[in-house]
Amino acid sequence: MNETTPTPTAGSPETGALSSWDRRKFLQVAATAGAALALARPGRLLGAASTQSDLRIALIGLGAEGKVLMEATLKIPNVKYVAVCDIWPYALKYGQRFLKKEGHEVNAYDNFEDLLAKEKDLDAVFVATPDVWHAPITNAFLKAGVHVYCEKMMSNTIEGARSMVRTMKETGKLLQIGHQRRSNPRYLVAKNRIIDEAHMLGRVTAANGQWNRAVSDDLGWPKNSDIPEDVLKKWGYENMFQFRNWRWFKKYGGGPLSDLGAHQIDIFNWFFDGPPKTVLAGGGADYYPNHEWFDNAMAIFEYQTPQGIARAFYQVLTTTSAGGGYYEQFMGTDGTLRMSENPKYTAIYREARAADWSKFVQARLIAPQAATPVDPDASASSKVDARETAELAAYRLPVILTKAIHQPHIENFLNAIRGTAKLNCPADEAFRSEIAIFKAIEAVYAQKMVYLTPADWTV
Amino acid sequence: MSDTASQPKLSEDTSGYTLAFLVLRLWLGVRALISGIEKFSATVAVQKPLLDASGNPDPSGAIVEIDQKVYGFANYQGVPDALKEKFLAEPMLPSFLTTPFYATLGYVLIALGLMLIVGLFTRISLFAMGIVYVMLTVGLILIKQDVGVSSLAVHIALVAFALVLSRYNRFAVTRR
Repeated sequence: MNETTPTPTAGSPETGALSSWDRRKFLQVAATAGAALALARPGRLLGAASTQSDLRIALIGLGAEGKVLMEATLKIPNVKYVAVCDIWPYALKYGQRFLKKEGHEVNAYDNFEDLLAKEKDLDAVFVATPDVWHAPITNAFLKAGVHVYCEKMMSNTIEGARSMVRTMKETGKLLQIGHQRRSNPRYLVAKNRIIDEAHMLGRVTAANGQWNRAVSDDLGWPKNSDIPEDVLKKWGYENMFQFRNWRWFKKYGGGPLSDLGAHQIDIFNWFFDGPPKTVLAGGGADYYPNHEWFDNAMAIFEYQTPQGIARAFYQVLTTTSAGGGYYEQFMGTDGTLRMSENPKYTAIYREARAADWSKFVQARLIAPQAATPVDPDASASSKVDARETAELAAYRLPVILTKAIHQPHIENFLNAIRGTAKLNCPADEAFRSEIAIFKAIEAVYAQKMVYLTPADWTV
Repeated sequence: MSDTASQPKLSEDTSGYTLAFLVLRLWLGVRALISGIEKFSATVAVQKPLLDASGNPDPSGAIVEIDQKVYGFANYQGVPDALKEKFLAEPMLPSFLTTPFYATLGYVLIALGLMLIVGLFTRISLFAMGIVYVMLTVGLILIKQDVGVSSLAVHIALVAFALVLSRYNRFAVTRR
């Protein structure tokens, strides 16, 4: 399977979207393989892996995201790839050859069930398939006693995501969801030190976030690399075009609010200790004639924080890159923090009313911008309107990421397996976050405010 | 009372002139010395662990990149690159003149600054400093940096004033 491609027909709450026939078959295989593997490796089920020995891992889904995870993982010591899996021979061959060049001789599978049955000593599996296959694959491996790192979104259905949390709890295995910002030191320092500890933003009353992307072409595929039709059908794909462009179709994924928004709305939820109370949203397939999912969407969330209500606006546009790229911005009474995985979009601004921030500069939580920060007091004379607020003083966040963008999150997962860390984004936490996205999509179609209750994220 | 009788004799009370010259000499010396030293400075990005309030590394393992100013011969830059590029386009500033000027400016300023501070060959030092400022002025006039020209004009005026007062030079290694 491939992150640039999708899977079967919509339906099952337990498994995400398998047809009833597929579901029965899947459950049969998963139960058998899971029981067999559990018996075959009791040692791995009982405790954390050695902190010294190589962790044996497999990767399922060799699309764009799978490659990113593979390359990031290869930078981490004491990790041994033993298997890769994809239903597309072209991607599978690429992955196998790439890993061989890096010194990892791996077995290649075109079926995750075979991988599950034959690879007896797996410590962990990375799942980077289209969303529709996340729940079935994750549940199968967890039940087999294998720790799982699964890309976001957890699933294309709420019940699929919920089943993953349930399986994680039942099996006691680790399930890290790939919201990699949660392990990014810049985000951790922003949340834990700047907002929670130093209260530099004062009371945070609002947030906004966006991911604006220019128009892009559909994904193609090399000549003579088509997946046979029977194989596509077996895994639930209508045709090769849908396999390659699964993100545009409802039965395989969740659309841009899920693909791009998941990371950023997760940050809203993490920083505001969500989920939100309500969501209003709008969106539609405004531009692309062949997309099922909306290409542009906007949502307003209302969060109940310990300090009071906070409102967050999010927009995802796949028809223009205007508007300053991708970021999540938290606005408080004393300051505003703009976060992004891209450091060039990251900054923090002090309101004129806020206390002096020199001590935070000294503590290296923030640093002066390259240009001299604007003095809010000095700008008072240039106001156009008497009620206009003084310009904010701008600073930068000096925390840097010296690794690949996904590496700290993968390291956190591997360290948790070794027993030296706690997961930064376990499935139950991710589910509480992703429920906001499912509800935003619901709000788009309902064309009214959608209310969230604890029952929505109860497992 | 005659005119000569009304003028204070130098031998009577020259302490004000002496002190005036001393502060002027020191100011011009410090100005030149630090300007010269700065030509050996650079700002480099230094990576360090972020510390928590107790002075321990932050639990996230965060690394901060802080701009730090460092000094060294390797950093020497007589004139900023932006100015050099502009001078390069000026036909009246041939490279056989500018190249040695760039190469020696920092060292000359340091030397003149030190000489003025300690009072070594003060008049010659002041005169040389004036010549350096005139040379800089030529470049700035050509590239139409009027603000810089004005600033140098103030420097030249101070140098000239110092030369006028130089006969009150005291607290110096050499008298002149």
